[in-house]
Amino acid sequence: MLRQYEAVYVFDAGLEDSAINERLERFHSLLGKPSDLHVDHWGRRQLAYPIGRKEQGYYVVARYSAETTALPEYDRALKLDDGIIRYLLTLHDRELGAPELSEEQLAAASLRRDQDDDDDEE
Amino acid sequence: MRRPQKSCPFCETRVHFIDYKDDRTLGRFITDHGKILPSRLSGTCARHQRQLSNAIKRARYLALIPYVRGMQA
Repeated sequence: MLRQYEAVYVFDAGLEDSAINERLERFHSLLGKPSDLHVDHWGRRQLAYPIGRKEQGYYVVARYSAETTALPEYDRALKLDDGIIRYLLTLHDRELGAPELSEEQLAAASLRRDQDDDDDEE
Repeated sequence: MRRPQKSCPFCETRVHFIDYKDDRTLGRFITDHGKILPSRLSGTCARHQRQLSNAIKRARYLALIPYVRGMQA
C-alpha cells in the first residue's frame, strides 16, 4: 500500500554536505526511489538543547510516497546510522487536521461569545 | 461567574493542520519554562489544543524547541 510520509532528519553538523547527500541518496534508494520525492534542506541550525555533545544539527525534511513494506528496512538504516542525531517519520496523508468551519458556524460562534460577554456584565 | 470565552487563534486564521516544524508559531504557545500553555490561557479550542500538544512534543524531540528553559543553576 502506498502512503505519504514526511521525514525529518537531523544530521551531525560536522558532516560534509556531500556525505549528507550521499546518505540521503542511500536512504531514499531503500524506499525504491519514490517519484514524488521532495527534499528540503534547512541547513545547519542550533539545537534547542544539546544532544550528546552536539550543539548544532543539519536539518533535512523529505516528503514522499512509499510502500509500507519498504519502511522497516529504511527505518533500520536510519537507526543504525551514526551521522544521524535524530529522525522523525510521520504519516502525512491522514493528517488533514480540523475541517474548515463554515461561515455560519463562525458567525454562530462569535454570536455565542458576544452573549457570554453580556452575561458577565450583568 | 463564567470567564468570557476567548476565541481560538487557530480557528480564526483557519489553520487546518498545526505544523510541528513551525517552531516560531509553537513558541507562542509555550511558557517561559517551556511548558505547553493551557487552552484556558491561550483560548485554543479542544481540537486545536490536541493538535498543538502533539506538534509541540514532536518539535521538542527534534530539538526545535526546548523541553525546559531557564532552569540552569
